[in-house]
Amino acid sequence: MKRRPGIQGLQRGAQTRDHYKQLGEAVQQTKLEHMKAQMAVFKKSLEEFAIKHRNDVRQDPVFRAQFHTMCANVGVDPLASNKGMWAQLLGFGDFYYELGVQIVEACLATRAQNGGLMDLEALQRYVQRRRGSLAEPVSEDDIIRAIDKLKKLGGGYAVFQVGKQRLVRSVPGELNTDKNTVLELAQGKGYVSQQGVQEATRWSDTRTKETLWSLLKEGLAMLDDGAPDRQRLFWFPCLESASSTAQQQ
Amino acid sequence: MASEDFSFPFFYSYPPYFTLQPVQETREKQSGLWRDLILKYCKHYKVYKLSIDSTDELPLFVNKAIDRRLSSEARAAFVSDLVKQGNAQWLDKLQRQVLILWKRLDEWAATIHSWARESGLEDMVTTVEELSSGDDTRGTELDGLPHELLIQALRLLEARGKAKLFKGTSADDEGVKFFA
Repeated sequence: MKRRPGIQGLQRGAQTRDHYKQLGEAVQQTKLEHMKAQMAVFKKSLEEFAIKHRNDVRQDPVFRAQFHTMCANVGVDPLASNKGMWAQLLGFGDFYYELGVQIVEACLATRAQNGGLMDLEALQRYVQRRRGSLAEPVSEDDIIRAIDKLKKLGGGYAVFQVGKQRLVRSVPGELNTDKNTVLELAQGKGYVSQQGVQEATRWSDTRTKETLWSLLKEGLAMLDDGAPDRQRLFWFPCLESASSTAQQQ
Repeated sequence: MASEDFSFPFFYSYPPYFTLQPVQETREKQSGLWRDLILKYCKHYKVYKLSIDSTDELPLFVNKAIDRRLSSEARAAFVSDLVKQGNAQWLDKLQRQVLILWKRLDEWAATIHSWARESGLEDMVTTVEELSSGDDTRGTELDGLPHELLIQALRLLEARGKAKLFKGTSADDEGVKFFA
């Protein structure tokens, strides 16, 4: 026997839906308040944490990197402003500002030799030496963060990957793929020959020559006609390891 | 001092620095590094004269460790730049030999003059030769100064009224008198 829906049944149904809706809203409201409270607690804890570990954050590069990761996960950027609690608590604004200036200095001082491309590790050593042994150590992570801030000032500062190596660029302009390929081929030995490039890439004569000579003109490559086998070589100072750049000074 | 080993800068072990760079900016930087090295090297080993002939095996221009050497052309280019900045003088018209002045002429003149004063040589006549190879200057900076350099420095002092040169019958018996 089948009952057809009566007016009462319909009304009861609507009532139930209303109840559910109200209940749902109430639950959501509680949840939101709860979350807000949690965030407040969290922010407070983070502040307390920052105060408590202030020295660790300032002095230990590994700890600093972990702190940054933690902040990024919860959507807090301690570098976003020079003012405010983060700068005051940690002196971060000054730290990266100073580091930025030192990075610019290092890039300018070595530009004549490397054409405005520098090995990240070499840059790190250079900056470290410039800061002296008493200053807090600087990690790669710090350098990359500081360069990220420099980017906003224009001038072309950027970090990019060539093969296994990370290079810091301090001159505007992009390396096209051909130049990038040549740099990658030069990795390890520090130089390439035209023949070597052509064998590896199957490029035409013109394309190879053009790429190599434009690297020369940009000051990123240097010519070497002194090889014992008379093969003309193109060297890339920016690929030189950190230790050899250190001796230059 | 000269017995101590000279420590070469980084670029001396980087092969392309031994090839004249075709790009102007790189070339200028390269020349600057070489000029600096030439002066420091010559000062360290008390070298006064250089030959730009590429058969000259002077370690300054030949790095056997990396099998690279500066060509005559490159040597001439960097030395010409030294001449332009007053730190070298060609010794012959063909520009094969060069006098390296790691101290400029007026600095040499001042060194000679203060040495003469300290040695109580004022108002006395000495031979020019004695200044660079006499017993009195042995072990001093003046020991071994080439005649070309010495005469020029003395002429400079003469022009300033601090010395007087006397011509002899040959280069061996030129004399000089110093004034305060």
